[in-house]
Amino acid sequence: MGVIQFKDVGKIFGPRDSGFVALQDINLEIRDREFVAIVGPSGCGKTTCLRMVAGFENTTDGVVSVDGTPIKRPGPDRAVVFQQFALFPWKSVYDNIDMGLRNLNVSGAERASRIDAILNLMNLTQYAKHFPHQLSGGMQQRVAIARAYVLDPDVLLMDEPFGALDAQTRVVMQEELVRLARKNPRTVLFITHAVEEAVYLADRVAIMTRAPGRIKEVLDIASVRNAEAWDSHEKIEDVMDLESFVHLRTHIWRSLREEKAAQHV
Amino acid sequence: MPRRVSIGMATIFIVCILWFCATTLFGLIPSGRFPSPAETWSALIHVSGRGYGGGDLTLHVYNSLRLVVMGFLFAIATGVPLGLLMGWNRKAEAIINPIFLIIRPIPPLAWIPLAILWLGLGDAAKIMVIWFSAFVPSVINTFAGVRNIDRPVIEAAYMLGMPKTRFVGEVLIPGASPMIFTGLRLSLQASWTTLVAAELVGAFYGIGRVLNVAQQDLYPGMILVGMIAVAILGWGTTRLLGVAESRALRWNTAALAAKG
Repeated sequence: MGVIQFKDVGKIFGPRDSGFVALQDINLEIRDREFVAIVGPSGCGKTTCLRMVAGFENTTDGVVSVDGTPIKRPGPDRAVVFQQFALFPWKSVYDNIDMGLRNLNVSGAERASRIDAILNLMNLTQYAKHFPHQLSGGMQQRVAIARAYVLDPDVLLMDEPFGALDAQTRVVMQEELVRLARKNPRTVLFITHAVEEAVYLADRVAIMTRAPGRIKEVLDIASVRNAEAWDSHEKIEDVMDLESFVHLRTHIWRSLREEKAAQHV
Repeated sequence: MPRRVSIGMATIFIVCILWFCATTLFGLIPSGRFPSPAETWSALIHVSGRGYGGGDLTLHVYNSLRLVVMGFLFAIATGVPLGLLMGWNRKAEAIINPIFLIIRPIPPLAWIPLAILWLGLGDAAKIMVIWFSAFVPSVINTFAGVRNIDRPVIEAAYMLGMPKTRFVGEVLIPGASPMIFTGLRLSLQASWTTLVAAELVGAFYGIGRVLNVAQQDLYPGMILVGMIAVAILGWGTTRLLGVAESRALRWNTAALAAKG
């Protein structure tokens, strides 16, 4: 199971009465094995939402919980993929992926077989002995995703994971993530400011506004995807060409732009 | 032989020729001021054979090297853990830092009189002074190394459920290690500087002792032998540390090479 719940969540950085209000009245439930993306402008607090689920940040008001248990600290049941990869540069690819399993006291034989499987799945087998810096950005992020997936976590938290990659690599990674997510669905909270990425990957998209950070709208993508059979297209550009995709994308764009216009008045 | 090395050798060779020309050949520098190559050589034979200043060269070198190694090891064995603690624990840093602010501006050599007063002219006083001088760079650089570890890397360790016991060895120390080694190199340099100064003030054996006696004897050849001996020892020990560093930081050299 992996149900993430935000209940009346608020976050103020600094003193309660005079600090910066980052988040206000966040209510969102992410169902088991559902892929939810949060989109919004920089500084809207979307990353803070993820960091609260990860246990890196406390709430000022309200509760963030997974399967009904309020979150107190980080842990391997909620695997995080960071924007800047955050691999251990002094450990080989293999040892990076092994780290979480070792901490969970998984037996040696099982660790080896799980790592081999994920290396194979992510096309990393031949790089197992490399150090992170010897790999390209896309490869490093692949290692970071493998490091998270190998734990078989209830919840996967991805904080703009493709934000640091070039456009081509990004597309490849998005396709791979879809492949992975459909084959082995997890509860995923995915943070991005790229609207197309959100529509392509997620079952639902939450649109956030800034100052204070609020959820403005939650859009159902999965029903459209299934109705229009997006997954029958192998390539991302084919999906992005579909009328149903364009429609959703444009809707989100408008929603974000209205917000910007409203702020300028 | 790599090009750089051959150029370097050529430079040293030319300096030796110039030295020979300026002293022996043209007599531009009187031998009372600076020794000729031949005088230096004979001083080397003198101290290696009959001995000088209370012992032969091996004894002096052995004593100096021993004190440096002991002082250095003692300094890093205390300095690195303290730097890790201060880097990791803000409370510890707040407590310890004021002491540093007071002690840091005092040149390590200023501790020599007190060290001799407490511990006499033997080894203990010198080890103490070396410890004082080598300790500070280890602490400061280790501290900075810990603070420089990428925050997300530390968060990743938490996220992966790493227990505290392994966190130190697998995240904190390797993460800070490039800076730790910078600290060790500075500590080693400080150790040699301080040792020679401490031995100059008072010692029974050691290279500083040779320098001190040679100065009193107006013996420039021997002074130069002592200086060259310190240079070679300093270079050799730094080199050893460099080998240890490149072994320990193989992942980092890969990183540097990747960046070009």
